[in-house]
Amino acid sequence: MSKTALPRNTTRQAEAMLYGEAARKLHRVSGAVIILFVLVHVIVQAVRHAPIFATANAAAPWLQALQEQNWVHAILFFCIAFHTFYGLKLLAGELGFRLHYKTAFWAVVIVSALIGLREVLRYAGI
Amino acid sequence: MPSDIKLRAKIRRYDPSVDAEPHYETYEVAGKDNWRVLDVIRSVYEHQAGDLAYQFACRAGRCGTCAVKVNGVPVLACQERCKPEMRIEPLTPFPVLRDLVVDRTEVEARYEKHALTPQRATEYAGGPEAIEPKLAEELCHMDSCLACMVCVSGCPAVAERAFDGPAFMLKLRHMAKHPVDTGNRLEQAIDAGMLECFGCDLCTQLCPADLSPAQAIREFRREMIFGGSAKHE
Repeated sequence: MSKTALPRNTTRQAEAMLYGEAARKLHRVSGAVIILFVLVHVIVQAVRHAPIFATANAAAPWLQALQEQNWVHAILFFCIAFHTFYGLKLLAGELGFRLHYKTAFWAVVIVSALIGLREVLRYAGI
Repeated sequence: MPSDIKLRAKIRRYDPSVDAEPHYETYEVAGKDNWRVLDVIRSVYEHQAGDLAYQFACRAGRCGTCAVKVNGVPVLACQERCKPEMRIEPLTPFPVLRDLVVDRTEVEARYEKHALTPQRATEYAGGPEAIEPKLAEELCHMDSCLACMVCVSGCPAVAERAFDGPAFMLKLRHMAKHPVDTGNRLEQAIDAGMLECFGCDLCTQLCPADLSPAQAIREFRREMIFGGSAKHE
């Protein structure tokens, strides 16, 4: 806010992607995915390993296969990375670091996507 | 050369004295591809719906009067280029007086409540007061807020929480930075719901005057965490 500027060219504002809206929704969805994963993970591990749930474990052989799906890991790692990095970006802003909303959004999305992609590649043995 | 196009504008109509509920009416307009949304609204008013209520003043993006929502995004109608398919609505969350005209009573009351003129400790002595050129430039830029309420309309925190809105935070920050102002602007900002802001910068993206209310909020928050005063930044 240091330069004096005339109103900018706002002729196509309604067509532009609303970065703040996308980031805020993605932040919430990724947070919800993480919480959901933790809940499901605790239950599934209990079913798979606790003797008391042995019958349930025998009836659900797909649980092992589910937790080895690369897309599950990719989504989870993307969500963890996005939620963490976007949260850090918000914190950094309040501590005085000036980050452009558009650059920061794409940086966080790309880094998170690469972390998610790494899981897919890892499963593919690359 | 601008070319001819057919536009379809779906406008939210509501006259509280006649209509029980708001409804949408669709208008076909023959226009040019370089028309602004305001040109479309004016064409509808002049040729198809003489009772359509809307408002504008400068037509140059300087007054903020013509702000409306186009396809769900708050914009200045005089600046936004028309689209082949448009849904035009009044700004939310303000009460609608009629069609595209909103009641700004609450907005004006909030501006008045925040006392957005420098609160001096002593009487004005008269004559010009010295001010750092860099600070003067910054204050001048912050003062260019059009009060169009585009940021308030787009703000998700305003929609979800008890938050006055980004425009008011910007003006409070403006006063906080003003060298002769002695008001406790940080406390005012907190009372107005500053801590409810998501920091999403949607206000920064939407502001037609190229201001960043989100940055003003971040500066207030930084001041709240680390102490210090906006006067010395």
